[in-house]
Amino acid sequence: MAHKVSMTVNGVTRESEVEPRTLLVHHIREGLGLTGTHIGCDTSQCGACTIIMNGKAVKSCTVLAVQADGADIMTIEGLAKDGQLHPIQEGFWEEHGLQCGFCTPGMIMSAYDLLQRNASPSEAEIRHAIDGNLCRCTGYQHIVKSIQWAANKMASAPAGDD
Amino acid sequence: MSAKVDEFTVVGKAVKRIEGDRKVTGAMRYVDDLSLPGMLSGRLVTSIYAHAEIVSIDASAALQVPGVIAVYTGKDVHPSGPEPDNRTGHMLARDKVIYYGQAVAVVLGVNEAAAAEGAALVEVEYRQLPAVVDPLEAMKPDAPVIRKKANAGVWADGADHGAVVAGDDIDISRLPDNITNAVRFTRGDIEAGFAEADAIVERTYTTHWVHQSYIETHGSLAAPDALGNLTIYTTTQGQFGARNGTAGVLGIPQNKIKLVGMEVGGGFGGKGIMLEPLAGWCALRHNAPVKIIMTRSEELSMGNPAPGSVIDIKIGAKADGTITAIQSRMVFDSGCYPGTPVGIAAMMAGGYYKTPNLSLLGYEVLTNKPGNGAYRAPGAPQATFAIEQAVDELAGKLGIDPVAFRLHNCSVEGDPQPTGAPWPRIGLKEILETIKEHPLWKNRHEHGKAVGVAIGGWPGGVEPCAANIRVNTDGSMLLTLGSTDITGTNTVMAMIAAEVFGMPLEKVKVQTGDTDTAPYAGFSGGSKVTYTVGPAVQRAAEDARQQVMAIAASELEASPDDLEIVDGVCRVKGAPDREISIAAIAQKSMTFGGKYEPVYGIGKSAVTDRAPGFSGQIAAVSVDEDTGQVKIEQYVTVQDVGRQLNPAMVEGQVIGGTAQAIGWGLWESMHYADDGQLITSTLMDYNVPKSEQIPPIETVILEIPAPAGPFGAKGIGEPPIIPGAAAIANAVAAATGKRVTAMPLTAERVSNALHNGQG
Ligand code: FES
Ligand code: FES
Repeated sequence: MAHKVSMTVNGVTRESEVEPRTLLVHHIREGLGLTGTHIGCDTSQCGACTIIMNGKAVKSCTVLAVQADGADIMTIEGLAKDGQLHPIQEGFWEEHGLQCGFCTPGMIMSAYDLLQRNASPSEAEIRHAIDGNLCRCTGYQHIVKSIQWAANKMASAPAGDD
Repeated sequence: MSAKVDEFTVVGKAVKRIEGDRKVTGAMRYVDDLSLPGMLSGRLVTSIYAHAEIVSIDASAALQVPGVIAVYTGKDVHPSGPEPDNRTGHMLARDKVIYYGQAVAVVLGVNEAAAAEGAALVEVEYRQLPAVVDPLEAMKPDAPVIRKKANAGVWADGADHGAVVAGDDIDISRLPDNITNAVRFTRGDIEAGFAEADAIVERTYTTHWVHQSYIETHGSLAAPDALGNLTIYTTTQGQFGARNGTAGVLGIPQNKIKLVGMEVGGGFGGKGIMLEPLAGWCALRHNAPVKIIMTRSEELSMGNPAPGSVIDIKIGAKADGTITAIQSRMVFDSGCYPGTPVGIAAMMAGGYYKTPNLSLLGYEVLTNKPGNGAYRAPGAPQATFAIEQAVDELAGKLGIDPVAFRLHNCSVEGDPQPTGAPWPRIGLKEILETIKEHPLWKNRHEHGKAVGVAIGGWPGGVEPCAANIRVNTDGSMLLTLGSTDITGTNTVMAMIAAEVFGMPLEKVKVQTGDTDTAPYAGFSGGSKVTYTVGPAVQRAAEDARQQVMAIAASELEASPDDLEIVDGVCRVKGAPDREISIAAIAQKSMTFGGKYEPVYGIGKSAVTDRAPGFSGQIAAVSVDEDTGQVKIEQYVTVQDVGRQLNPAMVEGQVIGGTAQAIGWGLWESMHYADDGQLITSTLMDYNVPKSEQIPPIETVILEIPAPAGPFGAKGIGEPPIIPGAAAIANAVAAATGKRVTAMPLTAERVSNALHNGQG
């Protein structure tokens, strides 16, 4: 009972057949081979699976692959352009916003969503935006600094907005 | 090495992590990201009872599911002999289940979905047995027995982290079956000590089980070859231990297993050995790669959380503030396999403060819970929650400032630990002096905040290890280690190698080899990687440097003493035109017909002097008088790290550990019902702190060098989790006048203390 689905993933149209029960996160990881999107729970709490779907951050374990038919999706693999890290990625690296790195792709996706909506968020706004992404290693402080770093960098750089 | 930080080019700098680019781009590979041709997926069938006989298992419906290949039970994996009595060996329950969530069968499918569908259809018939979940009940002679003494188990990994505990021997064979270990430390005359005291505090403190809650769950992928060799890709902090354990369980030589420690998505002590034997068994049985990844619910119910405890403390002091006696009875809940850190807990409870009279007695008790595991500073947070509240209360009774009281009594170099061995140089006193002068503490009366303080320490871990270095023909370097990279240890090792050799950091590549190729290193835990692998790397880099110098001396016709390495070039000091690049030296040592031996640096270490690490924390809280809700207003964490090799990473570790302390102190606990069922079996119920719950944390780093540590560094991972819960409880006492003696300090407990007088 496979269903045909087509979605734009990191700018490329991907057609596949999926089972009705397949979660989008499994499709991304196993069907499309994009393993940068992680799985950390089975109740949609951890946010490790966060992606950008139709411009908004979504936990990809809460969506069926068939529901994403026709969607425009960006995963962590689609963020760097032409070998150039996105400022958010640079920020996480520069400001030690990562330790084990397991939460990092999801965190970065949530930060991307935030900075699209709010170019200079306060610390409280940052903490609120990532409240659905668990990180057990960092205590969040350096993640907040990473996102602030990215916001500053993006504000000072000419808008090559993606 | 006692040079100043600014004499170094790399060490002491907040450089970026060497693997950071792979982590921010999604390129880093964790176990679950691997897939092999013909790979099968395994799904576990887990017990719905905490204590029950297995009457029968019917897999017929599961085997009908398209894509399900096989179902195996305890009878298959443990066909004969007594049921294994330790977690590593106990792949599947066979005759009876001893905790809720224990695996009783594994379903193999062509993919995860098929295996999961099959697992849901396996019918298990149980005959329920009375369960025991309260360790105090389990100690009684008539309690339900988890396992008869005759086959009392070997140690699980809760105790692995800092085997420093000796103490008097207690014959446990005469104690009830569920008591699997007892420790005792005594000094002086405890009764005389209390007789001398002008004030005494005596209380019972309770701590609950908590889960390490790394965001990546456990997983293993085992791939066999035609000759019966296994390659196992897995989530472990200690690849040699995981390999040896797996070989032992499967009864095959260690050389038949190549274990590849993948990037670890968080461990905190909890990732040692888990699914490796079962995945290996299935892979050999099917001659196909088998991957088993735990779900979060499985992780919470069977993934070796940290043990709870019940700790009685009695402590007395004279009117001048001198402690005269410390007595404690500690009961650690081991879960269903032996192996708690009760000894470390006793060491800490009785070691922070000088006392002429000491009496410590610790028990470990089996209950119908999963086997306990190591979690950051195993045993120390529990002990510290007790002793640091008792000390605080005692200072209050005597009308002495609690920091002054601690400073008056704190152990310093040469004072005896509970074992009798003297403390080496420790930073406890300096931490207390720092706290005393910190404005959050010093000015607490002026700014009117409710502030609490606590200290805590960790004995420090040691284990022999080795490292090696190759220099490539383009002048770059490869450093090979056996230690898993947790918390950026590989970055620190690259920094040490670059510094010692004189190589730019970006030319140093670090790999953690697999168990076939890596030099030995132990479990990455116990705050021992930097402290013990660091010296091995220092020596390997010195060795490689000397070899390079010798070749350069020969080529430049100079004495090695007259040479220096600058920017990847070896040159004669003061004669800049006489030089040869590291690349050219490497080429000459690795070429057909060459006359020099290849540059290959080896370093080994067997550090035996421990470098205990201490942390002190200051919490300012407000308490909602109606609901009991505790809010952290301000938080300071002070730690002696010996020497900061990478300040940004040190700060990250200290903040991360402190956040875990706050989580344990305020929200986290595994809740087991009276029948042993786990209530907090998902992340909906188990409260891993979120970004809005954790306050900004101010760090104050002290550097009191450890003589044996690389550049004076000490282990930094464990200490920050130790004193947090006690500091918060002391702040709550300052705010409310009430003592909450159980952690976490949930709103419910605090409200009970406020309104009923008992937390
Ligand atoms: S995997 Fe945890 S929220 Fe999606
Ligand atoms: S860096 Fe490990 S979970 Fe966030």
